[in-house]
Formats: sequence, C-alpha cells, structure tokens
Amino acid sequence: MSKMVLTTEGDRHVVVTRQFAASPELVYRAHTEPALIQKWLLGPDGWTMPVCINEAKPGGRIRYEWQDGKGSGFHLTGEYVELVPFSKIVHVERMHLPDPTPDNHVETRFDADARGTLMTMRMTLPNAQTRTAMLATGMEHGMEASYVRLEKIF
Amino acid sequence: MELADPFEMTQPAVSRHLKVLEGAGLITRRVDGAKRPCRLDNRGIKAIEQWLAVMHKALARNYDRLDNVLADLQRATSKGEPP
Repeated sequence: MSKMVLTTEGDRHVVVTRQFAASPELVYRAHTEPALIQKWLLGPDGWTMPVCINEAKPGGRIRYEWQDGKGSGFHLTGEYVELVPFSKIVHVERMHLPDPTPDNHVETRFDADARGTLMTMRMTLPNAQTRTAMLATGMEHGMEASYVRLEKIF
Repeated sequence: MELADPFEMTQPAVSRHLKVLEGAGLITRRVDGAKRPCRLDNRGIKAIEQWLAVMHKALARNYDRLDNVLADLQRATSKGEPP
C-alpha cells in the first residue's frame, strides 16, 4: 500500500503525490474514462456518481454529479486545457455548492517509475469561503465508515 | 507604532500588512486608547489545517479505491480481455 502525500506549496497551491502499481497508461485512463472514474472518484461512504461526462480533449467538458443516497448532492463542472497521453492532464474545475466556487486549476502528471506510476497533482488552494463550503458538503463525514467498508469488500 | 520601529517601512505600510494578516485570521487587533495592540491568532492556521486533513482523507480514500480499479484493469489486460 503506498502512502499519499499532500503538501502546500507557497500560499496558493496544494500538491498531492501518490504511487500506483500500474502503468501510466492505465492510471491516465482511470482519470479520463467515465466508466472507470465512476468506480473510484466518490469521496465518503455511500456517495455515488450517477452522472459522469468527461470529454478528454482540449476544450472538452467535464461534469461530475455526486449523490449521497439520502437526497443530497452537488456537482462539479470543468474544461480540459491540455492532455498529453499518458503523462499529463491540465484542466480547470469548479464545484457548485450550489454557487460556483472560484476556478481550480489542476495539473496532473503521470511519471513511470520502478513500481509503476508516480502521480503528481498540483492544484489551487481554495479560499476560506470555498473551504468552508466544501466542508459543509459532508465530505468529512463517514470517512471512518468508508475504511470499514473497504476492508469488508476487498 | 512600536511594531513599525524595527522595520525600514513607513507606519502606514506596516498597518497595511497588519490588515492583511488580520483579514487572514492570523492576528487580532483591539483598540486601547490610541494604541492598536496585536495578538497572534492561530484560528486562520487551524482552519486551513482542518481543511487539509479532511482533503487528505477524502483523496486517500479515492486513491485506495483506484488501486483496486487498476488491479482489475491489469488482470483483465493480462488475460487478453478488453479491459
């Protein structure tokens, strides 16, 4: 199991690194093919992504809709800026909570390493108002339950 | 006033810096006669730390799930099936 590292960079960025035991091609596909994205980009326990639009081309649209199974949910929209298969994705995204949050510029790199792929994702650190709105989605609830469920399934 | 003394900066310039720190929740200022004493306030830092911790959990959870998606893809690929 590889450990994810999340750090801040300067005042305005967050950098996430994570190692995967799979080729950059597979990790890239899991980030751009809706049928694959819907299996993992879900957040807390009980959440699903019934709508996943992902047009993986420059200018292509992104729309993810999440539901918590209890009548609540929110969605995210975005656009692709640059794609270099299978090594780099640049896109812009914003959450609708329900008001749109300021644009988050995200650059994701997939570099081959000895064990598979090292992913590096660099994004905008949201402002205080956006952070509060994000926490209010209930993102933090059910995390412990999620780990229990993960143990049960796998 | 006293805060500005050690700096080669005008007092109004120091005030502007303090205003930014106050807006970010890193210091608090109160009025004491003609003085505006400042105190360090870690609420701003705590709020960011809380968000980072929640974000860390949410992302780590997603990527643990992605490990399993990738393992399935690899199994399908090695069997020669369309993944």
